[in-house]
Amino acid sequence: MLKRPGRITLCAIAAAIVVAAPLVAQGEQAAIYKIRHDAYHHLGDAFKTLRDQLRSDSPDVAALKSAAQTVHEASVNQFNWFPAGSGPAPGVKTRAKAEIWSQPQDFAAAQKLFAAEAEKLGKAAAASDVAAVKNQFGAVGKACKNCHDTFRTPED
Amino acid sequence: MILNAPAPVSAVRIWDPLIRLIHWLMVLLVGVSWWTGENGELDYHRYSGYALLGLLVLRVFWGFFGSHSARFASFVKGPRAIAAYLRQLPARTAHTPAVPGHNPLGALSVIALLLAMATQVALGLFAVDVDGIESGPLSHLVSFDTGRTCAKLHHQLFDVLLALIALHVASVLFYLFYKRDNLIATMVHGRRALPAGSNDVRVPTGALVVGIALAAAVVWWIATA
Repeated sequence: MLKRPGRITLCAIAAAIVVAAPLVAQGEQAAIYKIRHDAYHHLGDAFKTLRDQLRSDSPDVAALKSAAQTVHEASVNQFNWFPAGSGPAPGVKTRAKAEIWSQPQDFAAAQKLFAAEAEKLGKAAAASDVAAVKNQFGAVGKACKNCHDTFRTPED
Repeated sequence: MILNAPAPVSAVRIWDPLIRLIHWLMVLLVGVSWWTGENGELDYHRYSGYALLGLLVLRVFWGFFGSHSARFASFVKGPRAIAAYLRQLPARTAHTPAVPGHNPLGALSVIALLLAMATQVALGLFAVDVDGIESGPLSHLVSFDTGRTCAKLHHQLFDVLLALIALHVASVLFYLFYKRDNLIATMVHGRRALPAGSNDVRVPTGALVVGIALAAAVVWWIATA
Protein backbone atom coordinates (compact mmCIF):
# COMPACT_ATOMS: atom_id res chain seq x y z
CA MET A 1 0.00 0.00 0.00
CA LEU A 2 1.25 3.42 -0.94
CA LYS A 3 2.16 5.69 1.86
CA ARG A 4 0.31 8.97 1.81
CA PRO A 5 2.69 11.81 1.02
CA GLY A 6 4.03 13.41 4.12
CA ARG A 7 3.60 17.04 5.05
CA ILE A 8 7.12 17.92 3.99
CA THR A 9 6.59 16.40 0.54
CA LEU A 10 3.36 18.33 0.07
CA CYS A 11 5.06 21.53 1.14
CA ALA A 12 7.87 20.89 -1.30
CA ILE A 13 5.43 20.32 -4.16
CA ALA A 14 3.51 23.47 -3.29
CA ALA A 15 6.70 25.47 -3.10
CA ALA A 16 7.83 24.11 -6.45
CA ILE A 17 4.56 25.17 -8.07
CA VAL A 18 4.74 28.64 -6.53
CA VAL A 19 8.30 29.09 -7.77
CA ALA A 20 7.86 27.47 -11.16
CA ALA A 21 4.58 29.10 -12.28
CA PRO A 22 6.01 32.60 -12.75
CA LEU A 23 9.10 31.07 -14.35
CA VAL A 24 6.91 29.39 -16.96
CA ALA A 25 5.05 32.65 -17.48
CA GLN A 26 8.38 34.43 -17.79
CA GLY A 27 9.49 31.87 -20.35
CA GLU A 28 6.38 32.59 -22.42
CA GLN A 29 7.00 36.30 -22.02
CA ALA A 30 10.60 35.90 -23.21
CA ALA A 31 9.34 33.83 -26.13
CA ILE A 32 7.06 36.59 -27.40
CA TYR A 33 10.01 38.98 -27.78
CA LYS A 34 11.80 36.40 -29.92
CA ILE A 35 8.70 35.50 -31.91
CA ARG A 36 8.08 39.18 -32.62
CA HIS A 37 11.71 39.87 -33.50
CA ASP A 38 11.90 36.88 -35.83
CA ALA A 39 8.60 37.84 -37.46
CA TYR A 40 9.83 41.36 -38.22
CA HIS A 41 13.12 39.94 -39.48
CA HIS A 42 11.14 37.73 -41.86
CA LEU A 43 9.12 40.77 -42.92
CA GLY A 44 12.31 42.78 -43.58
CA ASP A 45 13.61 39.90 -45.69
CA ALA A 46 10.38 39.89 -47.76
CA PHE A 47 10.56 43.66 -48.12
CA LYS A 48 14.09 43.45 -49.46
CA THR A 49 12.92 40.86 -52.03
CA LEU A 50 10.15 43.20 -53.18
CA ARG A 51 12.57 46.09 -53.41
CA ASP A 52 15.23 44.08 -55.26
CA GLN A 53 12.69 42.73 -57.76
CA LEU A 54 11.00 46.09 -58.32
CA ARG A 55 14.27 47.82 -59.20
CA SER A 56 15.17 45.04 -61.59
CA ASP A 57 14.46 45.48 -65.31
CA SER A 58 12.73 42.09 -65.42
CA PRO A 59 11.13 41.43 -62.02
CA ASP A 60 10.53 37.82 -61.01
CA VAL A 61 6.74 37.81 -60.60
CA ALA A 62 6.73 34.56 -58.59
CA ALA A 63 9.18 36.08 -56.11
CA LEU A 64 7.05 39.25 -55.93
CA LYS A 65 3.93 37.20 -55.22
CA SER A 66 5.59 35.14 -52.52
CA ALA A 67 7.11 38.19 -50.80
CA ALA A 68 3.85 40.16 -51.00
CA GLN A 69 2.08 37.17 -49.48
CA THR A 70 4.58 37.16 -46.59
CA VAL A 71 3.99 40.89 -46.02
CA HIS A 72 0.24 40.39 -46.10
CA GLU A 73 0.40 37.51 -43.61
CA ALA A 74 2.60 39.54 -41.29
CA SER A 75 0.09 42.40 -41.43
CA VAL A 76 -2.62 40.00 -40.25
CA ASN A 77 -0.48 38.32 -37.58
CA GLN A 78 0.96 41.56 -36.17
CA PHE A 79 -2.20 42.03 -34.11
CA ASN A 80 -0.98 39.12 -31.93
CA TRP A 81 2.59 40.35 -31.54
CA PHE A 82 2.08 42.93 -28.82
CA PRO A 83 0.41 41.27 -25.82
CA ALA A 84 0.36 43.25 -22.57
CA GLY A 85 3.65 42.86 -20.74
CA SER A 86 5.83 42.49 -23.85
CA GLY A 87 7.10 46.05 -23.75
CA PRO A 88 10.40 47.57 -22.72
CA ALA A 89 11.66 46.13 -19.44
CA PRO A 90 15.00 45.86 -17.65
CA GLY A 91 17.18 43.18 -19.20
CA VAL A 92 15.00 42.92 -22.30
CA LYS A 93 16.24 43.85 -25.77
CA THR A 94 13.35 45.39 -27.66
CA ARG A 95 12.70 48.53 -29.67
CA ALA A 96 8.98 48.42 -28.90
CA LYS A 97 8.07 51.62 -27.05
CA ALA A 98 5.84 51.80 -23.97
CA GLU A 99 3.53 54.06 -26.04
CA ILE A 100 2.22 50.93 -27.78
CA TRP A 101 0.38 50.06 -24.57
CA SER A 102 -0.19 53.59 -23.24
CA GLN A 103 -1.76 54.81 -26.51
CA PRO A 104 -3.57 51.65 -27.64
CA GLN A 105 -6.00 53.44 -29.97
CA ASP A 106 -3.26 55.24 -31.90
CA PHE A 107 -1.28 52.01 -32.11
CA ALA A 108 -4.29 50.06 -33.35
CA ALA A 109 -4.87 52.73 -36.02
CA ALA A 110 -1.25 52.39 -37.18
CA GLN A 111 -1.58 48.60 -37.27
CA LYS A 112 -4.81 48.84 -39.28
CA LEU A 113 -3.19 51.19 -41.80
CA PHE A 114 -0.40 48.65 -42.37
CA ALA A 115 -2.96 45.82 -42.66
CA ALA A 116 -5.02 47.77 -45.22
CA GLU A 117 -2.02 48.72 -47.38
CA ALA A 118 -0.54 45.21 -47.15
CA GLU A 119 -3.80 43.68 -48.27
CA LYS A 120 -3.77 45.90 -51.39
CA LEU A 121 -0.17 44.87 -51.99
CA GLY A 122 -1.14 41.21 -51.79
CA LYS A 123 -3.98 41.73 -54.27
CA ALA A 124 -1.78 43.62 -56.73
CA ALA A 125 0.82 40.84 -56.58
CA ALA A 126 -1.79 38.11 -56.90
CA ALA A 127 -3.00 39.86 -60.08
CA SER A 128 0.64 39.88 -61.38
CA ASP A 129 0.29 43.66 -61.80
CA VAL A 130 3.93 44.76 -61.36
CA ALA A 131 3.15 48.46 -61.78
CA ALA A 132 0.48 48.27 -59.06
CA VAL A 133 2.86 46.34 -56.79
CA LYS A 134 5.47 49.03 -57.28
CA ASN A 135 2.96 51.72 -56.42
CA GLN A 136 1.64 49.86 -53.40
CA PHE A 137 5.16 49.04 -52.19
CA GLY A 138 5.62 52.76 -51.54
CA ALA A 139 2.30 52.96 -49.68
CA VAL A 140 3.19 50.00 -47.47
CA GLY A 141 6.61 51.52 -46.78
CA LYS A 142 4.88 54.71 -45.61
CA ALA A 143 2.61 52.66 -43.33
CA CYS A 144 5.71 50.99 -41.84
CA LYS A 145 7.37 54.34 -41.24
CA ASN A 146 4.15 55.83 -39.84
CA CYS A 147 4.15 53.26 -37.03
CA HIS A 148 7.92 53.10 -36.52
CA ASP A 149 8.23 56.87 -36.13
CA THR A 150 5.94 56.82 -33.09
CA PHE A 151 6.13 53.35 -31.61
CA ARG A 152 9.70 52.15 -32.21
CA THR A 153 12.81 53.53 -30.50
CA PRO A 154 15.49 54.76 -32.91
CA GLU A 155 18.50 52.53 -33.56
CA ASP A 156 21.42 53.26 -31.24
CA MET B 1 81.27 81.43 -43.76
CA ILE B 2 78.99 82.20 -40.84
CA LEU B 3 78.00 79.13 -38.84
CA ASN B 4 74.30 78.40 -38.40
CA ALA B 5 73.31 80.82 -41.12
CA PRO B 6 69.79 79.95 -42.18
CA ALA B 7 69.78 78.18 -45.48
CA PRO B 8 68.03 80.17 -48.17
CA VAL B 9 64.44 78.98 -48.49
CA SER B 10 61.57 79.55 -50.83
CA ALA B 11 57.88 78.68 -50.77
CA VAL B 12 57.52 75.62 -52.93
CA ARG B 13 54.25 73.98 -53.93
CA ILE B 14 54.40 70.44 -52.50
CA TRP B 15 50.68 69.50 -52.73
CA ASP B 16 48.97 69.80 -56.09
CA PRO B 17 45.48 71.35 -56.25
CA LEU B 18 43.79 67.97 -56.81
CA ILE B 19 45.22 66.32 -53.71
CA ARG B 20 44.16 69.33 -51.61
CA LEU B 21 40.68 69.34 -53.12
CA ILE B 22 40.32 65.58 -52.49
CA HIS B 23 41.50 66.03 -48.90
CA TRP B 24 39.05 68.78 -47.98
CA LEU B 25 36.15 67.21 -49.88
CA MET B 26 36.76 64.02 -47.89
CA VAL B 27 36.61 66.04 -44.66
CA LEU B 28 33.32 67.56 -45.78
CA LEU B 29 31.80 64.30 -47.05
CA VAL B 30 32.75 62.21 -44.01
CA GLY B 31 30.92 64.86 -41.97
CA VAL B 32 27.92 64.78 -44.32
CA SER B 33 27.86 60.97 -44.25
CA TRP B 34 28.00 60.98 -40.47
CA TRP B 35 25.14 63.45 -40.09
CA THR B 36 22.89 61.92 -42.74
CA GLY B 37 23.54 58.40 -41.42
CA GLU B 38 22.68 59.34 -37.84
CA ASN B 39 19.58 61.26 -38.90
CA GLY B 40 18.10 58.75 -41.31
CA GLU B 41 18.66 60.92 -44.41
CA LEU B 42 19.57 57.84 -46.43
CA ASP B 43 19.10 59.40 -49.88
CA TYR B 44 21.69 62.07 -49.11
CA HIS B 45 23.78 59.44 -47.31
CA ARG B 46 23.95 57.42 -50.55
CA TYR B 47 24.91 60.50 -52.60
CA SER B 48 27.61 61.34 -50.10
CA GLY B 49 28.86 57.75 -50.29
CA TYR B 50 28.96 57.87 -54.10
CA ALA B 51 30.98 61.08 -53.95
CA LEU B 52 33.41 59.52 -51.45
CA LEU B 53 33.68 56.44 -53.65
CA GLY B 54 34.65 58.63 -56.61
CA LEU B 55 37.20 60.53 -54.53
CA LEU B 56 38.72 57.27 -53.25
CA VAL B 57 39.04 55.85 -56.77
CA LEU B 58 40.63 59.10 -57.93
CA ARG B 59 42.98 59.22 -54.91
CA VAL B 60 44.18 55.65 -55.45
CA PHE B 61 44.65 56.30 -59.18
CA TRP B 62 46.52 59.50 -58.30
CA GLY B 63 48.66 57.43 -55.94
CA PHE B 64 50.06 55.61 -58.97
CA PHE B 65 49.82 58.09 -61.83
CA GLY B 66 49.50 61.49 -60.11
CA SER B 67 51.96 64.17 -59.13
CA HIS B 68 55.12 63.03 -57.33
CA SER B 69 54.16 63.79 -53.71
CA ALA B 70 50.80 62.04 -54.19
CA ARG B 71 52.34 58.75 -55.34
CA PHE B 72 52.39 55.91 -52.83
CA ALA B 73 55.82 54.90 -54.07
CA SER B 74 57.18 58.31 -53.06
CA PHE B 75 56.02 58.23 -49.45
CA VAL B 76 55.23 54.69 -48.27
CA LYS B 77 58.43 53.54 -46.53
CA GLY B 78 59.61 50.51 -44.60
CA PRO B 79 60.16 50.12 -40.84
CA ARG B 80 63.74 51.40 -41.01
CA ALA B 81 62.70 54.78 -42.42
CA ILE B 82 59.84 54.97 -39.93
CA ALA B 83 62.22 54.25 -37.02
CA ALA B 84 64.66 56.89 -38.25
CA TYR B 85 61.85 59.40 -38.52
CA LEU B 86 60.59 58.52 -35.02
CA ARG B 87 64.05 59.26 -33.55
CA GLN B 88 63.95 62.87 -34.69
CA LEU B 89 60.26 63.33 -33.82
CA PRO B 90 60.90 64.86 -30.35
CA ALA B 91 62.96 67.70 -31.88
CA ARG B 92 60.99 70.93 -31.71
CA THR B 93 61.77 71.93 -35.25
CA ALA B 94 60.03 71.38 -38.51
CA HIS B 95 61.26 68.31 -40.32
CA THR B 96 62.85 69.10 -43.65
CA PRO B 97 62.64 65.98 -45.75
CA ALA B 98 64.90 65.20 -48.65
CA VAL B 99 61.77 64.66 -50.71
CA PRO B 100 58.79 66.89 -49.91
CA GLY B 101 55.55 65.14 -49.03
CA HIS B 102 54.23 62.81 -46.36
CA ASN B 103 56.76 61.71 -43.74
CA PRO B 104 57.22 57.93 -43.23
CA LEU B 105 55.01 57.93 -40.12
CA GLY B 106 52.27 60.06 -41.68
CA ALA B 107 52.27 57.64 -44.61
CA LEU B 108 50.87 54.97 -42.27
CA SER B 109 48.08 57.36 -41.33
CA VAL B 110 47.30 58.05 -44.99
CA ILE B 111 47.14 54.33 -45.79
CA ALA B 112 45.07 53.51 -42.70
CA LEU B 113 42.57 56.31 -43.43
CA LEU B 114 42.24 55.35 -47.10
CA LEU B 115 41.77 51.67 -46.23
CA ALA B 116 39.21 52.43 -43.53
CA MET B 117 37.24 54.76 -45.83
CA ALA B 118 37.37 52.31 -48.74
CA THR B 119 36.15 49.44 -46.53
CA GLN B 120 33.47 51.67 -45.07
CA VAL B 121 32.19 52.67 -48.53
CA ALA B 122 32.34 49.04 -49.74
CA LEU B 123 30.26 47.86 -46.75
CA GLY B 124 27.76 50.63 -47.41
CA LEU B 125 27.24 49.44 -50.98
CA PHE B 126 25.87 46.12 -49.65
CA ALA B 127 24.17 47.34 -46.47
CA VAL B 128 20.45 46.83 -45.85
CA ASP B 129 18.44 48.50 -43.10
CA VAL B 130 16.47 46.52 -40.52
CA ASP B 131 13.20 46.98 -42.44
CA GLY B 132 14.56 45.96 -45.83
CA ILE B 133 13.53 49.38 -47.18
CA GLU B 134 16.75 51.41 -47.33
CA SER B 135 19.77 49.77 -48.91
CA GLY B 136 23.05 50.26 -50.71
CA PRO B 137 23.19 50.10 -54.52
CA LEU B 138 24.69 46.59 -54.62
CA SER B 139 22.54 45.08 -51.84
CA HIS B 140 20.45 43.16 -54.37
CA LEU B 141 23.49 40.92 -54.88
CA VAL B 142 23.41 39.68 -51.26
CA SER B 143 20.83 38.14 -48.92
CA PHE B 144 18.94 40.11 -46.30
CA ASP B 145 21.10 38.60 -43.54
CA THR B 146 24.36 39.40 -45.32
CA GLY B 147 23.10 42.92 -45.99
CA ARG B 148 22.25 43.30 -42.30
CA THR B 149 25.74 42.10 -41.33
CA CYS B 150 27.25 44.66 -43.70
CA ALA B 151 25.09 47.38 -42.14
CA LYS B 152 26.20 46.43 -38.63
CA LEU B 153 29.87 46.37 -39.65
CA HIS B 154 29.33 49.69 -41.47
CA HIS B 155 28.09 51.10 -38.17
CA GLN B 156 30.97 49.66 -36.13
CA LEU B 157 33.75 50.51 -38.57
CA PHE B 158 32.70 54.15 -38.43
CA ASP B 159 33.96 54.26 -34.83
CA VAL B 160 37.32 52.95 -36.05
CA LEU B 161 37.34 55.63 -38.75
CA LEU B 162 36.54 58.29 -36.15
CA ALA B 163 39.44 57.06 -34.00
CA LEU B 164 41.82 57.25 -36.98
CA ILE B 165 40.58 60.76 -37.79
CA ALA B 166 41.08 61.79 -34.15
CA LEU B 167 44.65 60.44 -34.27
CA HIS B 168 45.26 62.28 -37.56
CA VAL B 169 43.97 65.59 -36.16
CA ALA B 170 45.90 65.11 -32.90
CA SER B 171 49.11 64.53 -34.90
CA VAL B 172 48.55 67.65 -36.97
CA LEU B 173 47.98 69.66 -33.78
CA PHE B 174 51.17 68.14 -32.30
CA TYR B 175 53.07 69.44 -35.33
CA LEU B 176 51.38 72.85 -35.03
CA PHE B 177 51.95 73.47 -31.32
CA TYR B 178 54.97 71.33 -30.45
CA LYS B 179 56.99 71.44 -33.64
CA ARG B 180 55.71 74.85 -34.83
CA ASP B 181 54.99 73.32 -38.19
CA ASN B 182 51.66 74.35 -39.71
CA LEU B 183 50.64 71.39 -41.87
CA ILE B 184 47.04 72.61 -42.06
CA ALA B 185 48.00 75.79 -43.93
CA THR B 186 50.17 73.71 -46.26
CA MET B 187 47.19 71.46 -47.02
CA VAL B 188 45.19 74.63 -47.81
CA HIS B 189 47.58 76.56 -50.06
CA GLY B 190 49.91 73.68 -50.93
CA ARG B 191 53.17 75.56 -50.28
CA ARG B 192 55.96 74.88 -47.82
CA ALA B 193 59.28 76.59 -47.13
CA LEU B 194 61.96 74.41 -48.65
CA PRO B 195 65.61 74.94 -49.55
CA ALA B 196 65.92 77.27 -52.51
CA GLY B 197 66.09 75.43 -55.77
CA SER B 198 63.34 72.93 -54.89
CA ASN B 199 60.77 72.54 -57.61
CA ASP B 200 57.01 72.95 -57.50
CA VAL B 201 55.15 69.69 -57.81
CA ARG B 202 53.80 69.17 -61.33
CA VAL B 203 50.37 67.93 -62.30
CA PRO B 204 50.31 65.35 -65.11
CA THR B 205 47.31 66.66 -67.05
CA GLY B 206 46.70 63.50 -69.05
CA ALA B 207 46.57 61.39 -65.88
CA LEU B 208 44.19 63.93 -64.34
CA VAL B 209 41.70 63.51 -67.20
CA VAL B 210 41.97 59.71 -67.12
CA GLY B 211 41.62 59.61 -63.33
CA ILE B 212 38.48 61.77 -63.25
CA ALA B 213 36.93 59.76 -66.09
CA LEU B 214 37.73 56.50 -64.29
CA ALA B 215 36.27 57.71 -60.99
CA ALA B 216 33.10 58.93 -62.70
CA ALA B 217 32.75 55.64 -64.60
CA VAL B 218 33.10 53.53 -61.43
CA VAL B 219 30.52 55.62 -59.55
CA TRP B 220 28.09 55.58 -62.48
CA TRP B 221 28.48 51.84 -62.94
CA ILE B 222 27.83 51.09 -59.26
CA ALA B 223 25.05 53.63 -58.75
CA THR B 224 23.11 52.24 -61.70
CA ALA B 225 23.89 48.57 -61.03
